[in-house]
Amino acid sequence: MAADKQKLEAKWAEYLENQKKDNVKYMLLSAAGILTVLVLWQAVVMLGLVDSRLLPPPTEVLSTLIYKLNNTVPDGNTLGTNIIASLQVALSGFCVAIVIGVPLGLLMGWWTYADRFIRPIFELVRPVPPIAWIPLVVVWMGVGLKAKALIIFFTAFVPCVINSYTGIKLTSQVLIDVSRTFGAPNWMIFWKIGIPSSLPMVFAGIRVALGNSWSTLVAAEMLAASAGLGYMIQIGRTVARPDIVIVGMVVIGAIGAILSAILSRCEKYFLRWKVNR
Amino acid sequence: MDRMSSGQKTVRTVLYWGLPVLAVLLIIVGWITFSASHPDLMPAPVDVWDRFIRTFTRPIAKTTLIGHAWASLRRVLIALLIAWAFGIGFGILIGWNRKARAFFGSIFEVIRPIPPIAWIPIVIMWFGIGEFPKVLLVFIGTFVPLVINTSAGIEMVDKINLHVGRIFGGNDMQILKEIVIPTALPSIFAGIRTSVSSGWTTVLAAEMMGAQQGLGSLVTRGWQGSDLSLVLVAVITIAVIGALLAVILQQLEKVVCPWNSK
Amino acid sequence: MEQQVKRMEIRHLSKTFFSKKGYFTAIDDVSFDVYDGEFLVILGPGRCGKTVMLNIIAGVEDATEGQIIYNGKEWKGLNPEIGMVFQKLALMSFKTVIENVELALKFRGMKKEERREIARHYIKLVGLEGFENYYPKQLSGGMQQRVGIARAYAANPKLLIMDEPFGKLDAQTRYQMQEDLLKIWEKEKRTIIFVTNNIEEACYLGDRIILLSDCPAKVKEVYPIDIPRPRDMVSREFLELRTTISDNTDLSI
Repeated sequence: MAADKQKLEAKWAEYLENQKKDNVKYMLLSAAGILTVLVLWQAVVMLGLVDSRLLPPPTEVLSTLIYKLNNTVPDGNTLGTNIIASLQVALSGFCVAIVIGVPLGLLMGWWTYADRFIRPIFELVRPVPPIAWIPLVVVWMGVGLKAKALIIFFTAFVPCVINSYTGIKLTSQVLIDVSRTFGAPNWMIFWKIGIPSSLPMVFAGIRVALGNSWSTLVAAEMLAASAGLGYMIQIGRTVARPDIVIVGMVVIGAIGAILSAILSRCEKYFLRWKVNR
Repeated sequence: MDRMSSGQKTVRTVLYWGLPVLAVLLIIVGWITFSASHPDLMPAPVDVWDRFIRTFTRPIAKTTLIGHAWASLRRVLIALLIAWAFGIGFGILIGWNRKARAFFGSIFEVIRPIPPIAWIPIVIMWFGIGEFPKVLLVFIGTFVPLVINTSAGIEMVDKINLHVGRIFGGNDMQILKEIVIPTALPSIFAGIRTSVSSGWTTVLAAEMMGAQQGLGSLVTRGWQGSDLSLVLVAVITIAVIGALLAVILQQLEKVVCPWNSK
Repeated sequence: MEQQVKRMEIRHLSKTFFSKKGYFTAIDDVSFDVYDGEFLVILGPGRCGKTVMLNIIAGVEDATEGQIIYNGKEWKGLNPEIGMVFQKLALMSFKTVIENVELALKFRGMKKEERREIARHYIKLVGLEGFENYYPKQLSGGMQQRVGIARAYAANPKLLIMDEPFGKLDAQTRYQMQEDLLKIWEKEKRTIIFVTNNIEEACYLGDRIILLSDCPAKVKEVYPIDIPRPRDMVSREFLELRTTISDNTDLSI
């Protein structure tokens, strides 16, 4: 048996070694993918296959990015100001949508009468793509923070409601019946059973809402704004500065990814009772 | 709970059917009163209806409302067909092959967080505002959800189903075709659904940034010409077509994945 | 039973799983023979080792140690002469009954009419005539498992492995399925390796029982059974056999 144990230990060490090698291999492969694109991009521009006035090489994009950190040319704001302006709009609309949309969806899912009353209104508004609201909202409220936040609200609101509604509808009937048997009043069952079991779906909705918010924000800023990342790329286009446009796209993408990563963290924390299942 | 008096029952029935009617009425009344007091902010329903009729008698940019709707739809449909072919193919590739996933997946992950709308300025700079750049933009907007859903569906395949395939003598291609892809089909369909609504939104955005024809161009035209009725006509048309597309897809899914609905 | 031919020999089979955190031995030095045409029952009380062992025998998983000898020759990898009925059913939810049953034949490139005919034959054999175009979801648990059996039979395997096929069925359905399985086996003889954790089922079905220990799985004892079929579950010899095995079985909670 002692010899067996030694043999197994050796095999385990070998397994761990192979695992490690494997991980390194795939990480290298991932890096190679991105590197290939960057190198190809640089090469086509430097070889003159693509006009550099239309597609600046990655190196130029990088230097513009650094330059933009504390320069206001051409759109009148530094990159930091634009980022803050965009985040302010997107997050305020997004947060209001969660605060209103999630409880509304939960309510509709739990109480039939709420459902009967709100649903027709909701179904009328739902199919309107959020960016189609932009002209109306601008006419109503101008191009300020509130107007844009309202547009973001429309985009983020719909998935919040739908997912909360579906989530709470999925509450196990057995759990509800058990609580009823123990004499719990309806609101308590809603609070202690309905809401927790709807949380995974609610988070899925919030995730969609976040993506929608960020992408609609760009549209709103392109159409009606005086600052923000969407405004920056729009100006970049009108003054024929593709490097500014690409810097804007990269920053928009990066912030979108960071926001979604933060949300994942929150989700993990709130759903920690659900892990490993 | 079941022991209700008949009076209680009537109240419940009235509420059940009365509430939705009340809600719709409230919207209509709200609209009418608001437009009466603020005609500059909101045209009355009658004005919108008149404007709707006028889009047929007096064509805008040489075509009627139907022509504009068709212009938008055509762009979406062309882009969707291309995106379905490439997106599903690419999704299968990175879902099935780990090496391809490592190599192409990382590129995809970098591009993916950029919203399709953010591509509009650069695409306009490169290709102008003709048909091709619009189709390209819709393609970008629809490609991403397709790839995500397809590859997620492929990865979801239960290991035991792969064992079944191998034990009963299937080779890799057969297992992919007979077991993996059908398993992923509902998920692929979810991607198709997302792609349609995302494509419909993207085409509007693209048209609003500059186009001769299309529902998005009507929105911009109405907006810039202070013709809010036209904006509303376009928005309502957009919403109706969007809803119709969703219904059609729902029916289509029942046909393509019959095992899911029964 | 003198002229027994060995179809398969399992020699010193071990399987250890490795992970980042450590390793875990599921099967420890298991050896036994499988004779041609017999109904061999592997009785294991524990949760561990059985399915893995079957996967190794079928060739979809690798052993850590040991070898498998098939028809006198050492065998590695997938064995096309083995069919399997799965504990978790593993029917394709998107295929109808007949499409599930003909899967192996389709893989072999058989023509449609031909494989449909074979599939229909086995669907009839397991008593599912008329359900050919149903989806698995529309069938009861017992019927679903019949589809699994028909699928395995239709592949025409020399050796049929059944992994706790009736584990999830209610008692009544289970008895019915056991009886039907024996009938099918009498009609179309195959070598069967049948895994179960139910002593009664083992005694009712098997020509021989190989009793495994709890984790890690080892061969504890081999019981040949010569009670003639159909067996009476309350006869004295049946109950005696049951008690003997039961006393020798590791308790598993």
